[in-house]
Amino acid sequence: MEKKLMKGCEAIGEAAICAGARLFFGYPITPQNEIPEYLSSRMPQVGGTFVQAESEVAASNMLYGASGAGKRVITSSSSPGISLMGEALSYMAGAELPAVIVSIMRAGPGLGGILPSQSDYFQATKGGGHGDYRVMVLAPETVQEAVDHTIKAFDYADKYRNPVIILADGILGQMMEPVTFPEPVRPEDLPEKPWATTGAKGRERNIVNSLYLNPDVLEERNWQLVKKYEAMREDVEFDTYHLDDEVDVMIVAYGTVARIARTAVDTMREQGMRVGLFRPVTVYPFPSDALAEAADKAGAVLTSELSTGQMLEDVKAAIAGKRPVEFFGRVGGNLMAPEEIVEQVTALMERQGRSVA
Amino acid sequence: MQSEIILAGFGGQGVLLIGKLIALAGMDDNREVTWMPAYGPEMRGGTCNCTVVVGDKKIGSPISKRPHHLIALNLPSLDKFEDEVRPGGIIVTNTSLINRRPKRDDIKLVEVPANAIAIEAGSPRAANMVALGAFAAASGLVTLEGLIDVLDKNLAKNPKLAEINRVAVSRGYELGRAGA
Amino acid sequence: MPTVHVEKDRCKGCELCTRVCPEQALGMSEKINAKGYFYPVAKEADKCTGCRRCVLMCPDEAIQVEVKGKRTAPPEALTGAPLHYCPGCTHGVIHSLIGDAIDHLGIREKTVGIAPVGCSVLAYNYFNVDMQQASHGRALALATGIKRGRPDLAVFTYQGDGDLASIGMAETVHAANRGEKVTAIFVNNAIYGMTGGQMAPTTLPGQITSTTRAGRDVKHAGEPIRMVELLNELQTPAYLTRVSVHDPKHILAARKAIRKAFKYQMDGVCFSLVEILSTCPTGWGQTPHDACGWVVDKMTPYFPLGDKKVPEAA
Ligand SMILES: Cc1ncc(C[n+]2csc(CCOP(=O)(O)OP(=O)(O)O)c2C)c(N)n1
Repeated sequence: MEKKLMKGCEAIGEAAICAGARLFFGYPITPQNEIPEYLSSRMPQVGGTFVQAESEVAASNMLYGASGAGKRVITSSSSPGISLMGEALSYMAGAELPAVIVSIMRAGPGLGGILPSQSDYFQATKGGGHGDYRVMVLAPETVQEAVDHTIKAFDYADKYRNPVIILADGILGQMMEPVTFPEPVRPEDLPEKPWATTGAKGRERNIVNSLYLNPDVLEERNWQLVKKYEAMREDVEFDTYHLDDEVDVMIVAYGTVARIARTAVDTMREQGMRVGLFRPVTVYPFPSDALAEAADKAGAVLTSELSTGQMLEDVKAAIAGKRPVEFFGRVGGNLMAPEEIVEQVTALMERQGRSVA
Repeated sequence: MQSEIILAGFGGQGVLLIGKLIALAGMDDNREVTWMPAYGPEMRGGTCNCTVVVGDKKIGSPISKRPHHLIALNLPSLDKFEDEVRPGGIIVTNTSLINRRPKRDDIKLVEVPANAIAIEAGSPRAANMVALGAFAAASGLVTLEGLIDVLDKNLAKNPKLAEINRVAVSRGYELGRAGA
Repeated sequence: MPTVHVEKDRCKGCELCTRVCPEQALGMSEKINAKGYFYPVAKEADKCTGCRRCVLMCPDEAIQVEVKGKRTAPPEALTGAPLHYCPGCTHGVIHSLIGDAIDHLGIREKTVGIAPVGCSVLAYNYFNVDMQQASHGRALALATGIKRGRPDLAVFTYQGDGDLASIGMAETVHAANRGEKVTAIFVNNAIYGMTGGQMAPTTLPGQITSTTRAGRDVKHAGEPIRMVELLNELQTPAYLTRVSVHDPKHILAARKAIRKAFKYQMDGVCFSLVEILSTCPTGWGQTPHDACGWVVDKMTPYFPLGDKKVPEAA
């Protein structure tokens, strides 16, 4: 297979086409402009459609409509724009509509900055919009993984009839790495969606809706959705590095921070330190069981994120007090150097009374 | 072995492009590569840089606060990154625009009058290619053939420019080899 | 004899001043300034008539002219902080005109400005008045809140075409329809400058942008929106006008319109919106001079200049 050097954003755009999506609705915002820019010229080449919407509110509701009509559809944005998509996300989750939303995080709150961040973890995994709902969230760390996740996201979205978010920071969006693409899916080969509003020819009418005025009916629906969210556990993914044997410190990190942490682990291993890395790949559903198991073999846990401590809450819930969990974060668009993680781990080991070498 | 390189200059000098060419040549050589631009509004018209990492195993951080090597096409870039380069690393400076030598004496210095040579090669815009050639020779990270090959594959649309680029890279390569 | 004073380190070398000098008294320097740009020098100083066209045209407040001991000065309503705009971008010219209007009406200490999301996102650094920073498109909602809370204040928004006519369209139409006594300064540069040159609602048919690489196709993207004409359909009284800042003559007309817009607001007459055709040399891929020409040749036929609606009370 031919390797191509591509920017994360452009690779995500190409992956959507590979997955058989022929519709993109979006609005410019840094640092993900290369997705709409790429697809504005690429979609017409494959008979697809690109629409630059008037806002993210509109783009995400175009997504709702197209998905309701049975089409594979994708949008992308960054933090302030994803905030505006909260409405459509909630409605799509309520109406059980599949769609892929790419969230390239920049630093907040408010207008914040445009540099990389992971401060929209809550927004992606805990809601973003109103109501009791969840969306599946995949957090790639390489451009290749961004491609693979985007393609998988369409399948998960259809499988669970639910929105799926690709959650990455500005680095992954902007960096180039070699990638390969699988055989593309032909849109006409995708299975029919019997629930979609495609014209009630020879069948009962289909209604795409999230309104249930009867509280008992709405309650029943809410519990049914919960069952679906539980079922997503079947597709939980995570990755471990140097965690086969006991470690003094287990680092937990995702996305770009996991890459930085891996460099730090290599350095520490060379110095004879017993350190490993646990990387959640799906951050919703969160790999809680696997993380708890891994923690059994660790002296202490260090969660590292580009936030003031968001995934930290999931890590603590999973480990449930069995091990000390500490935190190291950088925010505002700043990144940690591998050396800073080494320092943090060393300090943690000393506090735990463990010999560093 | 993993090499982390920072390439920096004015916006428009083409540092992102030569970074990409190193990454492409590395990729063709079946090595792991990443290319990461510094981005932001301040980039417009101002200074511009990218980080390229070339290695033999899966690359961790795609950015580096302690790069092995630096290619500086203008003075602000040398001022900004000189201190970060690891001892023993290579610093390529464009003496056409940089009127001082690096303060460091624990690095390998490669000085090239990139703009002057580019003008000789046919276009002042090829200064980046001269620096690229010099770096390739001094570091051995990518071969001249590898670079010419990616140039031909990626920048061959304008044959005249392609030839200028080839000449500029080759001239830089000779200087880099002599200077190293 | 008039003297031209150039604050050389503010200059970004756009050469708009040398181009508008009717006497060719100005030329560009041989040396570069601290920012790395060539700057204007009065090469033939004796030819200067003190017409001040260069002062009006400079987007960076870098030129002042002294005639008989009287020296032009930048408006007090501007902080004087160096502007971050690209060389030759006329956002800076428009800033000066707003500063002038505020000074002219003597309302600096009771003005609140609203910075949008767009290239002028940092406008709060430049206007020497109280400022609020809005989210993308919502400036006129903030303005409504401020004005309803403090009707005695002068409230203005400063918005690009993406901000005011795309994502903020609903806020714009409704603020105008409610007749909010605020002033919207609408900078139409036919592109999204800040995010790197994507299509705007005002992008011209066939115009190349980073999301319309084959040119705007009106079959899919629709025709450019004429905001002043669109708002004119509302029955609520308003002051709606379109001006341009591509040359000194038009800058003077724009100055008049902006002063008027603020005046209507202060007199409690009506909502006012001044659409200003502005350049984006970076986004359009043109020299600052050519960009001014493009405004005349391409933009003004589609976006005709002049008052569209004037309140009856006036
Ligand atoms: C909700 C939201 N969406 C998108 C953006 C990204 N964004 C920043 S500026 C801008 C448009 C700027 O264009 P315009 O309003 O025409 O002003 P200009 O930059 O041309 O002066 C966009 C889309 C944002 N900050 N917030």
